[in-house]
Amino acid sequence: MEYAGLRRQAAYTRKALFDQGYLDEQFYQLEDLQDDVTPNFVEEVVTLFFKDSSRLLSSIMQDLEKSSPDFQKLDAHMHQFKGSISSIGALKVKNECTLLGEYCSNKNLDGCIKAIHKVKREHAILKQKLEAYFQLLRQIGPAEGATRPVE
Amino acid sequence: MSAMQRMSSESASTGSLYTSCLPVRGDSASLPSQELFPAGLRVLVVDDDITCLKILEYMLQKCQYRVTTCSEALTALSLLREKKDGFDLVISDVHMPDMDGFKLLELVGLEMDLPVIMMSADGRTSAVMRGIKHGACYYLIKPVRIEELKNIWQHFFRKKWNGSKDLEHSGSFEDSDRQKRVADKAEYESSVNEGTDGSWKTQRKKRDFKDDEDDDEHENEDPSASKKPRVVWSVELHQQFVNAVNQLGIDKAVPKRILELMNVPGLTRENVASHLQKFRLYLKRISGMNQHQSGLPNSFCNPMEANSKVGSLIRLDFHSLAAAGQIPPQTLAALHAELLGQPSGNLLLPRIESPVILQASNQNSKILPAEDEVAFGQPLFKCQSGTSKRFSSSGIDAQDMPSSFSSWPSNQFGFMGSNNDLGGLNNTNNSLLMQMLQQPQQHQQEPFNLVTPDSHIAINVQPSCLIVPSQLPNSLSGGNCSIAINHNSQPSSNIQIGSNSVLTTSKSTLNPSDIAFDYSILSSQSTNAPLGMAQVSDGDFKNTGLLSNYSIPVSVPSSVSTSSVCTSGAAGWRLLNSNMNIASLNRLPGHLPNLSGSLVNHDMVRNNRFVGKGTWLPSRFSVHGIESATTNWNSMKTSVDDVDKVKQEFSMDFLDGSKVEKTKLPNFPSNDFMGVLSK
Repeated sequence: MEYAGLRRQAAYTRKALFDQGYLDEQFYQLEDLQDDVTPNFVEEVVTLFFKDSSRLLSSIMQDLEKSSPDFQKLDAHMHQFKGSISSIGALKVKNECTLLGEYCSNKNLDGCIKAIHKVKREHAILKQKLEAYFQLLRQIGPAEGATRPVE
Repeated sequence: MSAMQRMSSESASTGSLYTSCLPVRGDSASLPSQELFPAGLRVLVVDDDITCLKILEYMLQKCQYRVTTCSEALTALSLLREKKDGFDLVISDVHMPDMDGFKLLELVGLEMDLPVIMMSADGRTSAVMRGIKHGACYYLIKPVRIEELKNIWQHFFRKKWNGSKDLEHSGSFEDSDRQKRVADKAEYESSVNEGTDGSWKTQRKKRDFKDDEDDDEHENEDPSASKKPRVVWSVELHQQFVNAVNQLGIDKAVPKRILELMNVPGLTRENVASHLQKFRLYLKRISGMNQHQSGLPNSFCNPMEANSKVGSLIRLDFHSLAAAGQIPPQTLAALHAELLGQPSGNLLLPRIESPVILQASNQNSKILPAEDEVAFGQPLFKCQSGTSKRFSSSGIDAQDMPSSFSSWPSNQFGFMGSNNDLGGLNNTNNSLLMQMLQQPQQHQQEPFNLVTPDSHIAINVQPSCLIVPSQLPNSLSGGNCSIAINHNSQPSSNIQIGSNSVLTTSKSTLNPSDIAFDYSILSSQSTNAPLGMAQVSDGDFKNTGLLSNYSIPVSVPSSVSTSSVCTSGAAGWRLLNSNMNIASLNRLPGHLPNLSGSLVNHDMVRNNRFVGKGTWLPSRFSVHGIESATTNWNSMKTSVDDVDKVKQEFSMDFLDGSKVEKTKLPNFPSNDFMGVLSK
């Protein structure tokens, strides 16, 4: 019973993530890659992403804090970041990142700063939501033999 | 299998290199099994982003490839060097901290000759182009989907296939090389050769090969030795080349110096040498053909059948014109550049012709002696009134334009216009649609702006014809040139180019410089590949009203794409177009104001000026009648900026065929036009 409820809840959470635009179809691709062989693939990847992306985000922040920011470098970092984001299907974060890219190509420092804060915010929100979702999955997980991913 | 995979994954540490092997084949050094191909393809993935790396790894494994991942470019390089034959394909990210992805790409291409696929979240066309220019065989835009990865084996296979095909033939490198060169040359000279007699072409090719082989001996090495990625002589690159040659002087231009002047990373002396060779041959041919005049009399009368040579653009055979020798080598070079524009031998415009055209203009009026027909593009034209003589030698071969045109993804067509005096335009035949530009004028490389012809320059051009501004504004510049066709001073030259553009049209005569033709790009998407943007650097066209040839890349996806027409200052420009699909033309946003209506200003006709309608109808451009109809023409791309504006440049009215012109050309002998038009 409880298990079924959990499953329902997990399914509902997942659907909400898509409906509310936090995730896009790329996430489906990740889910497709998950199978019996790699039952925790999605969670692994997402965890990896949040670890790595924090690093990228802070390097972008550093770029912007310089007195005369190097927009080219910023552009490169931004694209790297965007690559990660889009690979896991983080839609909202990606959109904010696109805006950041535009400000960057226009060399609009203020715009970039504003945009990067938005990116950070969306990034944090998504992280929270996905963590909650995976937690749910893990609770259901044991029944399917899934184990916590080894980091 | 899965167990093993799991194990190997777990043993890997993030960011480090590890290999996942499919248990089925334990032998990592073996080549992919033929039966299971593409399964077992050995792929090396390089990306500093561990998230992407992981995802790609899993995806590739799902595709049954043997994946090795690496988060550092230097590590990847050493891995590749260690196991010389250990991988079949490399996928690399563009932005990496320790080494630029492009650098890695070049090194891999040079040292190992492996197909490299670039990857990035940056999907801008410029970035993608950059990747391809650096030699990537493909460029993936992140997020990468598994479907795309399923197809990457094609890149590996193609390389192998081409390599083995070469080896098969006669087994000697020279042979295969020759074949390759043949193919290259074919592309390169397709338009030029199109109309000429086949044997000559063949001879030329043979000669070319021989020369090539002589010159590039060192290239005749073991084919399996790393073959450098083919250099794509894009418009810009070619323009740089031409500039360097001009700077040095055609006589003194040696590959080494040219290479230095060009200063293009990754370009080798050999690349330059072989290109120079082709270039010289081209120039020789042009000047040699001056006397040719035998012209292609029939070229005009070719039935339009699309021959599909993609590359065959209308050839305006202005040999004689060029022969006049009035065009200094530099000019020729520039013209050549224009012609050459093509990135990959695609439709490049007729390489030749520009010089010819230039010359023609000089002669002003009699350049085309009675050539009434300028056949452009499609062989639609009917040899009208016998003028097939095209302007003295300017044979315009409308070769294949027609249908093949549509086949081009991006069509470029060069507009060949001959100077208004194209021979005989004596009015009655409106054969010369193109009005040769009167004066070469000064055109510097300013982009031609093909302005939508509000200003209509009335060009008495038959619908399908090419518009020949009598004077090309200086704006010819490489890349997208918009041709500004200004109406030149001659009374007859009214080039009315649809709504498109025509910058200034002074009704009275067409001054080459005045003519602004704006060909808008029909569909924006032509990513511009200006095929064959001919840049004509102008300048010396003194009174040539020749048209510079420019190829207007036309992409003809359903919408007409823009084609850039670059013309150099030369007064004349030639529009070469190859197949412009009329249909597509029709789709052009209507701006081209009805050129049809305005088309013909008979003044032009009278003077035998070529009247070009704003749109260049490639396909049939005959002096006599502008064949509008079938010519397909796809977008002419005017200057890039004008793209939007000019989109509609051409009123494809004429495409419709015919209709337009008929009515409009009063001056022209109606029959001629009709004939043509009605096509």
